[in-house]
Amino acid sequence: MPDAAPLLRTRDLTKQYPGVTAIDHLDLDVPRGRVGLVGANGAGKTTLFRMMLGLSHPTEGSLEVCGVEVAQDPISARSRLGYMPEHDCLPLDQTAADIVATFGELNGLPPRSARQRASDVLDLVGLDEARFRPVGGFSTGMRQRTKLAQALVADPELVLLDEPTAGLDPLGREEMLSLVERLGTFDISVLLATHLLDDVQQVCDHVIMLDGGRLVVSGATGSLLERTGILSIDVGAERSGLIALLARRSLASTEAAGLVEVQIDGEADIDVVRDAVAELGLPLHRLTTRLTSLDDVFLAKAAH
Amino acid sequence: MAGAVYDRGYRPYEGERGGRREARAALFRASVRRALGWRRPWRQKVVPFLLLAIVTVPAIVNVGVAYLTRDTPASGIRFITYRDYVGVSNSLLLFVALSAPDIMCPDRRQRVLPLIFARPLTGVDYVLAKVGAMTAILFGFSFLPQVVLFVGQMLVSKDGALDYARANGEVLWQVPIAVGILSLYYAVIGVAISSLTSRRIIAGASIVALFLITSVVSVLFIESVTTRTEQTPAPAPVFTEDDEQVVVLQPGDENGDPWGLVVEREPTAAQLVNLASLPLVLRDLVFLGQVPEAEPMSGVDRGGLYAILVYAVVVGAGFTTLFIRYDEVER
Repeated sequence: MPDAAPLLRTRDLTKQYPGVTAIDHLDLDVPRGRVGLVGANGAGKTTLFRMMLGLSHPTEGSLEVCGVEVAQDPISARSRLGYMPEHDCLPLDQTAADIVATFGELNGLPPRSARQRASDVLDLVGLDEARFRPVGGFSTGMRQRTKLAQALVADPELVLLDEPTAGLDPLGREEMLSLVERLGTFDISVLLATHLLDDVQQVCDHVIMLDGGRLVVSGATGSLLERTGILSIDVGAERSGLIALLARRSLASTEAAGLVEVQIDGEADIDVVRDAVAELGLPLHRLTTRLTSLDDVFLAKAAH
Repeated sequence: MAGAVYDRGYRPYEGERGGRREARAALFRASVRRALGWRRPWRQKVVPFLLLAIVTVPAIVNVGVAYLTRDTPASGIRFITYRDYVGVSNSLLLFVALSAPDIMCPDRRQRVLPLIFARPLTGVDYVLAKVGAMTAILFGFSFLPQVVLFVGQMLVSKDGALDYARANGEVLWQVPIAVGILSLYYAVIGVAISSLTSRRIIAGASIVALFLITSVVSVLFIESVTTRTEQTPAPAPVFTEDDEQVVVLQPGDENGDPWGLVVEREPTAAQLVNLASLPLVLRDLVFLGQVPEAEPMSGVDRGGLYAILVYAVVVGAGFTTLFIRYDEVER
């Protein structure tokens, strides 16, 4: 059943361009729902999208989108996807209604259904009155909505959104994010590529972090925030012994304001810290976790 | 208010969903619409419909004259034959130079290609849809005037419409084939050149330049095998006969020489270099079964075959360029 298949499954996926490895032996299993794909510019997000669409081919490895092996059947993979690129991509001398309907037809919808769907999705993104105006006169926000509408016109299983909030003012950004959030309730899965962790934290229930084409971390947003961060421990004066022991057990820690701060990743790390403290027979006056945001998670992981 | 997001719910699409064939047909329709200026500002509609008017005028004039002279001794006169009317107008070439870049270059310049290729179609589908659209428009614009000419002549014929149709029945297959050959050729050249640049103006200028330069080169070649000798003053006009009409040659006529010289040409295949007029040689093969005598090509051994070969090479090169430009790999 394709419905039960994960959004995306990659095995040893690698993409090399001359002199650059854009994706580096990536193994991913991404569940359905709203998924954030986070990374700095050049982390490999757009390359991954292009490979999912079959627009670019892996140097090595394989990828499956909605249960379809892209290399074997790119047409079938594409017919399940909607794509909203980061860059400008709209024919400026046509109206939003025409553009979205034409792309509906290109997805194989009969002309009449395509026009009806275009009208529905343009309503959905809030462009009902402007849709008969040429896109050339649109603001950035309206163009972004038109781009989103063309991605949704054929009712895809999954939409790939590449930096949908780029260039938007704070209000426009909030509106775009609330649209993305609602897509989940329409049974459309979302893969949201962004370098803004805030966006992901706000609307995604799963996060994948990429850095230099490699996987940094992948997991449910909530659990990443719960389990990852900095543990502050007050063990009195014997701090250097603990730091040395933790270093031997592969945990980075520093001394700060009379406390030991340990970078942790998951509950197992908390156990390691507890055991180390017990082993050295130190008093454990206080133990707190300082969990802030996905930015901390990303910075902590990327530093490793 | 444009900025507001309304919650009108969302209905999933349960209807039919086609594949590559439907996607290709959709791209074909969108390209035809674009070239004809449908759903675009009125300025975009001027060029195509002006062209249609220009290419239809000879048919209307011809039918009108035939009507006015039908009971006079001049009733046999025709300004234009069905053969001449295939590719008669250079405005068709100008139209290719304007429209082909218009359906190709913006896709690249405005970066629409990634959106198109995110749909269930391939580079081959894209090329076929675009060349098909351009061919269809050129075919329509060349064929419609022929229909006007044929139906008009039929209606004003003093022998009766059915007799006229019967007597001229062969043009019913000759015209579509010749027009088809011509349309595909100009469409492939126009679309292939336009695929090489994202700037419409550069593509248009390149198309015009290609036709212009090859025709000038061809004329220079033909001139180089042409000799002129002084003629003793000829009091009588020269008559020469071509397939359907008698043309009176006088000084200043295009087939004669303005200075009263006898023009002699060796047969030359240099006409094939002229990419603008090459399909007209094939047109003549369709209508006459041979290269007409007035042409420089006449007398060249297997000239017709060479023309077909050059045609195939040009069309093949055009498609090859396009398939490479829109190859599915690494767009």
